[in-house]
Amino acid sequence: MTPRLVFDVAAGLAILFACVMVVHRHPVKSVLALVVSFFALAVTYVLLAAPLIAAVQVIVYAGAILVLFLFVLMLLNVPEEVRQTPDRPIHQALSAGAIVAFAAALLASLRAYGATRAAPSAELPPGDLAPVARLLFSDHFLSFEALSILLLAALVGSFVLARREESP
Amino acid sequence: MTANGIPIGDVLLASGALFVIGLAGALLRRNAISIFLAIELMMNAANLAVLGYAAALHSLEGQIVVFFVIAIAAAEAAVGLAIFVALFRHTETIDVNQINLLKW
Repeated sequence: MTPRLVFDVAAGLAILFACVMVVHRHPVKSVLALVVSFFALAVTYVLLAAPLIAAVQVIVYAGAILVLFLFVLMLLNVPEEVRQTPDRPIHQALSAGAIVAFAAALLASLRAYGATRAAPSAELPPGDLAPVARLLFSDHFLSFEALSILLLAALVGSFVLARREESP
Repeated sequence: MTANGIPIGDVLLASGALFVIGLAGALLRRNAISIFLAIELMMNAANLAVLGYAAALHSLEGQIVVFFVIAIAAAEAAVGLAIFVALFRHTETIDVNQINLLKW
């Protein structure tokens, strides 16, 4: 099992379950498909020598954020999307056109860029945590602290937003 | 350029595919929470591209950037979902076609 093979399998799984997420009409199943997709992405992060980010992806993204989504979905009891026959035809045609155009532009630029870059391959170090931590708590210390204040603000903000109005 | 024997082209292709799928979801779904999920997927696609380049260039800064992106995504998800809860309490729906208070 070369890293490349594992990467291709994991990325393929991530793409497959992302498709499932978009296609499913039931929001809870969408979230569950996205959890699988994010786990597969965590595998690719390990292969790209970022084990810390892989752990954060599993714990914070798949573990906390998507569970929050599931929690809200179950709280609101969101129904399955029903297919409406005249379902915004202009909107859908424009959206499909925009998606295809964007995909084509992306593919063209990747082709143009990827072809010109075939350079040295070096084995990566296994991805130690200590250098990342040292960088995070020295050069980026201020941003890190700002981030904790942002999270506090988000906590207070979401509490205020979702609070039920007291009836006088 | 390769990272750990993985060509950067593969990483970018996977990232682009995920981004396009997320874009399709954000444009085509009608449920506000599904749209939000698709946006999360697009953010992850961008993270994958950043990590691919960070690995190929042997830089640690990329991991720091992705760390911050994930933390901000957590804050954004909390506030966004609180908005949806407040909206649902107000309008009894989170179908974006029926939320047209500001539409002229």
